Amino acid sequence: MLSRVWLIARREYRERVRTRGFVITTILIPLLMGGFVFGSIFLGSKTVSDRHIAVVSIDTELALDLQTELEREQRQRDDAAASSAPAAAKKTARIFVDAMNSGPEVRGELNQELESGDLDGYLWITPAAVAGGRPTFAYTSKSGGDAAMRGTLASALDRVLIREQLAHRGVVATEMDAMLQPVKVAAVERGPHTDTESAKVSVSVLFFIMYLVIMLYGMNVARSIIEEKTSRIFEVLLAAVRPEAMMAGKIIGVGAVGLTQVGIWLTAGFVLAAASAAIHLGGDTIHITISGMQIVFFLIYFILGYLFYSSIAAALGAMTNSEQELQQLNMFLMIPLLLCFGMLGPLLTAPDSTLARVMALIPPFTPLLMYMRVSLGHPAVWEVAASIVLLSVSICGIIWVTSRIYRVGVLMYGKRPSVREILRWLKYS
Amino acid sequence: MAIVQLDHIRKVYDTKVAVEDLSLSVDAGMMFGLLGPNGSGKTSSIRMMIGMTLPDSGLVSLFGKPFTRGVLWRVGYLPEERGLYKKMNVLEQLVFLGQLRGISEAEARRRSRNWCEKLQITEAMPKKTEDLSKGMQQKIQFIASLLHNPDLIIMDEPFSGLDPVSAALLMDTLVELRSQGKAVLFSTHRMDQVEKLCDAIALIHRGQLVVSGTMQEVKSAYPRNRVQISFEGDDGFLRHPAIASVKRYPGQVEITMRPSQTLTEDTQLLLAEAMRCARLTRFEVSEPTLEDIFIEKVGQSSPEDLAELAMRQNAVGGEADA
Repeated sequence: MLSRVWLIARREYRERVRTRGFVITTILIPLLMGGFVFGSIFLGSKTVSDRHIAVVSIDTELALDLQTELEREQRQRDDAAASSAPAAAKKTARIFVDAMNSGPEVRGELNQELESGDLDGYLWITPAAVAGGRPTFAYTSKSGGDAAMRGTLASALDRVLIREQLAHRGVVATEMDAMLQPVKVAAVERGPHTDTESAKVSVSVLFFIMYLVIMLYGMNVARSIIEEKTSRIFEVLLAAVRPEAMMAGKIIGVGAVGLTQVGIWLTAGFVLAAASAAIHLGGDTIHITISGMQIVFFLIYFILGYLFYSSIAAALGAMTNSEQELQQLNMFLMIPLLLCFGMLGPLLTAPDSTLARVMALIPPFTPLLMYMRVSLGHPAVWEVAASIVLLSVSICGIIWVTSRIYRVGVLMYGKRPSVREILRWLKYS
Repeated sequence: MAIVQLDHIRKVYDTKVAVEDLSLSVDAGMMFGLLGPNGSGKTSSIRMMIGMTLPDSGLVSLFGKPFTRGVLWRVGYLPEERGLYKKMNVLEQLVFLGQLRGISEAEARRRSRNWCEKLQITEAMPKKTEDLSKGMQQKIQFIASLLHNPDLIIMDEPFSGLDPVSAALLMDTLVELRSQGKAVLFSTHRMDQVEKLCDAIALIHRGQLVVSGTMQEVKSAYPRNRVQISFEGDDGFLRHPAIASVKRYPGQVEITMRPSQTLTEDTQLLLAEAMRCARLTRFEVSEPTLEDIFIEKVGQSSPEDLAELAMRQNAVGGEADA
């Protein structure tokens, strides 16, 4: 029995690894994914655009104060950027401010300039109606939702007004600077994850890999079962091997191909990490930080997750007769995986939230989500243990059900079984 | 000891009775033909013989014991639906299938080569299966089912779709295996193939046994009322009153005699009459062919009968399902 499982798994493995498709995905997927990850960081850091805005106010002093405040902020940002990345002089978005007096025809001119693109927006300051009150501000921009600029202006105006108030109370400029110095909050974390940002990147990459490989190879199991059904080699095999052994061999063989692929990718990742301990891109420093524990947990959850989903896929393959029929059923695979994918964002920001803790214990979500929690959060030991036990138990259950469906389903040609029939198969033998 | 023994097996698929009360037995050194038109239940019966599906009732015994998967290593099976891994190298494929049957890799390789030589397809060995002709693929499957030297060989439609030369080659191989003491059972809807090859037959129609027994038993139940005459000259003798019907072919006729107590005498009279009219090169008296027997047995039921039978089967299927 075992030697037959081995024979089937070996055949499956050999035939798959030799295909052109395997070679192509092995090379192409990391290239695409790496390109995507680094590309987005690169683009994010390079897309700095200068802004040109106008400040319109009867009170020219206020407009000029705002101008100097914005310039001061600019200097601070430049300094911060320069200190974080000395190698690549980072450029930040510059804001050019024109201060001007309001007049009846000014708004029309400004709107024209806005239209022509000479101006990105203008701030209209209406003086306070009562003495000692605050003036009102309105920011008009080309792109209605320029929230970032509105935020920058609001905080700058806050400080300008505070300065004004402070000046009224006789505070000198140097003291004001000290008082208004922005507070810095350093990101220091308990535990091993010191370099949070790059940890998130490398963990996310592994998440993508796990997601892709489980989905691709789960579907491969289903597809190869359908292929054997349509090529009718099933009957030949069934005369020699138990259906359970066939299924086991197939899942192991296809899974081994997936492991090989992940192994190649991880090795390549390590070589890359070793070759350049830190890759500088556009001033942001991305370390490829993968710890040994992370890889161990990645492999554990990857293997369990693959077993979970490929067993379901095997049942789907056994129940259907063609790729088209399979596509109607593959939502059973896709939906839980997509839900996991949707959880990626919440997990990255709060890996130990109640939602994350509950979701990570539900077997279909465990492989991807618990892996993320182990890598980024601080799950209790019992949570990790419980997730593995729950997942393993449900895998056993699924394999039990699947092997029954498989045994009968593989010989069903022609029509798709009804739910009632499937329930009958479970009772049969 | 019977190698294959079916006792009153019955199999119902949801709405269709596939096999109804089928009993047969096959001995060692015997060539057994399972005959019937398409959809008559041949494949269902064969699948139950090797435990691929289970009968709803009745008993399947192989090698004298109730069926277990443990005896499958002694069985060689060629399914009706031909299936091979399309992208796989032929020799590798044979070795893999041989290994699955429990023989070592080296032995599987050696036997595969020998069989390929025997069936004259050595040039196919290094090729991919999908590059081969259908006939070649069939030969490869044929080999795959025999690699582990089984004592019982079960083949579902082994000669369908083969050219006459290849079919003859496979038939010769089966005859040789029989002479080695193997039990061979094959199904076919081509009755003419069976006449020469088989020691015993079972003829099934709509899942039910119509005729069964050794070839002699089957034939001796029928009078020798078929006469084949090859002749040149006047065909006036065909108006002889003892003749029931005549089929004319170029240079020869096939005659069915009227049922009669004096059939042998009638036939002799016909011979005398024919010799008087024409120059004969052949005059042969025989039992009806299997095809004639089959048509006679099955053709008795009129279309109305058949429709009613189908409805009754549906009703039975429905009850079994509920």
